[in-house]
Amino acid sequence: MSKEDNMAKALPGYGTIDVPKDRVVPFGAVTPAPVGTQKLFQTSNWRVVRPVKDEEKCTRCLQCYLACPDACWVYKEEDDTLEWVGDFCKGCQVCIAQCTVDGALVAAPELDFEGGVVRLEKPF
Amino acid sequence: MAKVHEITVWARGVLQDKEGRDVINIFAKAAQAEGKHAQAFDNYEDLPDRVLVTVRKYVRLSDEEITHKYVYTNDKPEVVVICEATIVKGIDVLRGMEPGGTLIINTNRSIDDMLKLLPNANLLATIATVDADAITGVRTVDFSGSEGGVDTTGIGKGIAAPIVGAVAKVTGLIKKESLAKIVSDVSGMERGYNEVKIKHFKPAVAELVGAAAGSKTKR
Repeated sequence: MSKEDNMAKALPGYGTIDVPKDRVVPFGAVTPAPVGTQKLFQTSNWRVVRPVKDEEKCTRCLQCYLACPDACWVYKEEDDTLEWVGDFCKGCQVCIAQCTVDGALVAAPELDFEGGVVRLEKPF
Repeated sequence: MAKVHEITVWARGVLQDKEGRDVINIFAKAAQAEGKHAQAFDNYEDLPDRVLVTVRKYVRLSDEEITHKYVYTNDKPEVVVICEATIVKGIDVLRGMEPGGTLIINTNRSIDDMLKLLPNANLLATIATVDADAITGVRTVDFSGSEGGVDTTGIGKGIAAPIVGAVAKVTGLIKKESLAKIVSDVSGMERGYNEVKIKHFKPAVAELVGAAAGSKTKR
């Protein structure tokens, strides 16, 4: 008899987890991802530069919106504008690299702006 | 027990991780060469392997043996060193500082610009800026040396050299001569020592403001 079988005989509950009936999910179940921004993981203080958009040059191709890993570009359909969510932008500049128009998105030093960064007591 | 001088260094993860660690190691080694007792260590909970995330490095210097060796953060830093100026905007870097502290920032901007970003600047007796990026150039020296690895480039080659020079001049905790024996980039260290811009606040005002702030923030 293998070790596992011995254990199973000695301890009937061995290898199983007691889950309440209402918490049981089928194997491979999908739990919903948090939608929108997460207040507990504000990453704006990682930022050294921020993307600045030229409204006139922007063609609304939405490449920045697609590329942003933190969903910091929000497209507002009703007034056809893109809004930048500064609290979560960590200045990775992917949107600037993906921008299809020269000069529509540029990196500007964060210290040139007042505010826009969530001030934390600890690194994160 | 003799006073323990606590220095906290803030740097950006990956890009300045080694430089930040160099600052603390240079200080600790120089202090030990002067016959002082020193401790130098990284923060335990920061994420130094994520780019641009702020990381903390700590040094403690004392004339006598430092007894609180199992406390692994500087809760009341006397000197705070900022390796990248934007950190001032996103973090309360003066947290825990007693009135009369010192802040040294690596930036090419003016001291007044930096003071605007510090809501609790009344804790400071001295603020200084050094443009270390211009002195040694913005460059990533080496990624080695993390997690106990061996530094192959020697310590103090990047922005760490001018920063330690500046800190030595502003605080007076370490002699420049003992730093020069340890730093690889001695000329960078000398330039940091000479080019640091210092602003002292008038002691009377600083004490008054500090006393008021101290009574408010007393824990």
